[in-house]
Amino acid sequence: MKQIKRTLKLLRRSPYHALAAILAMTLTFFITSLFVILILGGQLVLNYFEQQPELHIFFKEDVQDSKIEEIAQNTRTTGFVKEVKFISQEEALAIYRERFKDDPQLLESVTADYLPKSIEVAVTKPEGIIEITKLVKDKPEVEKVVSLSEKAIENLTSSVKVIRFGGIIFVSTLTVVSFLIIIMVVGMRIALRRDEISIMNLVGATKWYIARPFFLEGAFYGLVGASIAAFLTYAVLLFYSPNIQEFVEPIQIFPIHPVFFLYLWVGEVLIAAAIGVLGAAIALYRYLKIR
Amino acid sequence: MIQFESVTKKYPNGQIALDDVNLKIEDGEFVFVTGLSGAGKSTLLKLITRETRPSVGKVLIDEQDILKIPEGKLPILRRRIGTIFQDFKLLLNRTVFENVAVPLEVLSQKDSHIEKEVSATLEKVGLLEKANNFPAQLSGGEIQRTAIARAIVAKPVVLLADEPTGDLDPKTAREVVELLEKINKEDKTTIIMATHNEAVVNHFKKRVIVLKKGKIEKDTKEGTYEAD
Repeated sequence: MKQIKRTLKLLRRSPYHALAAILAMTLTFFITSLFVILILGGQLVLNYFEQQPELHIFFKEDVQDSKIEEIAQNTRTTGFVKEVKFISQEEALAIYRERFKDDPQLLESVTADYLPKSIEVAVTKPEGIIEITKLVKDKPEVEKVVSLSEKAIENLTSSVKVIRFGGIIFVSTLTVVSFLIIIMVVGMRIALRRDEISIMNLVGATKWYIARPFFLEGAFYGLVGASIAAFLTYAVLLFYSPNIQEFVEPIQIFPIHPVFFLYLWVGEVLIAAAIGVLGAAIALYRYLKIR
Repeated sequence: MIQFESVTKKYPNGQIALDDVNLKIEDGEFVFVTGLSGAGKSTLLKLITRETRPSVGKVLIDEQDILKIPEGKLPILRRRIGTIFQDFKLLLNRTVFENVAVPLEVLSQKDSHIEKEVSATLEKVGLLEKANNFPAQLSGGEIQRTAIARAIVAKPVVLLADEPTGDLDPKTAREVVELLEKINKEDKTTIIMATHNEAVVNHFKKRVIVLKKGKIEKDTKEGTYEAD
């Protein structure tokens, strides 16, 4: 307790050094948090599409139900079909109404006659989408085939990979910068306290006694920086969650469980404190030859 | 007892600070070490705290060869030795009380014990009423008395004083040495004082060791100052 008080007292004596170190840590871990969430979110989106490969076949106005059944049967011959669901004009209207329930202007003028009949084909593998699309797209009864193609999934996968790779490079660079700032700040403090340290040496202080406040200082920068970063991330996500959710509909990402933020905070604080302590250890070795 | 056995100290630049020095200082003695600048006075004191090591020879304290003390155990040796410097080496951002408390803080003593010991020591050196002052608010004599209080607060068995009167006027210098004499008599602390102060050495009539070019030129029981 006495050591913690002593460390806080030292921090108060040169607050700008402390502020620089804390800001570096905050920036590093805020960006880290955003990348972690972006990567996990991207993975969720990807999983959603990978687990739900499906395509919608829309038919022209005058196509008979029997013809639609025939085409549905054709798709089954590809061997990729898990399930085929017929959607009548009335069902399409119900879906339309549900989707635009908050916009009465869009609902007013639309009746079932305006909407096409369709079938929803769930496939067992993403490549089934390409096969079935090839099979049905040129048929005279078919108006349009809508699907998330394999190519799109590939693009999404490679985007997530790029974000992951970019994130690692960016976060690693920021971590190195924070690390160097901690070494510099603790080094400056050691230089400022050189007289005190030499007196302590002479009156019989152990190396550990001399080094302890610097280790605590490093850990403090990590603790405070990572905590501020976790809080900022939480606040930013809370603020933007309606917009992000609307963007990724119908994939359910929000609300993020508070336990996730707890894990994020604990993980980041531990990593940040380790960076702080390691930075202090290097500064102590560099300037005082304390190992 | 402090013993130097054939101690030679040669610095990396080739300068010989001490040359084959043999010396014995008994417990409770008060010794002046005199000599011109560069004669080896400070080196002699630094060898006792093992701030530096001899190139040749042994330094023994209570028959223990201090060169054999492992690095990690050095603090234990240094807790038995108090040191006073010409430039005082007080921490300017700490009060008199806080400066004196440093040796007890490094021993992780309880606050109540620190409070009691520091107050008693400040009273002994006549500075209790200045406990909350910062060094910048003190006179030269008061600053040196603060440094003495810091050196004795942990009750060392040996007190080393390196030119403690160097920056003081004659009257204050004598007061400071009187205080050291009082500590020597009351606490039986061994005192080794390196000095150039002729008036002080001649006035107090203590054992005087004269160093010249790293060698002991004279060692007199109740000696006087000799510069050359």
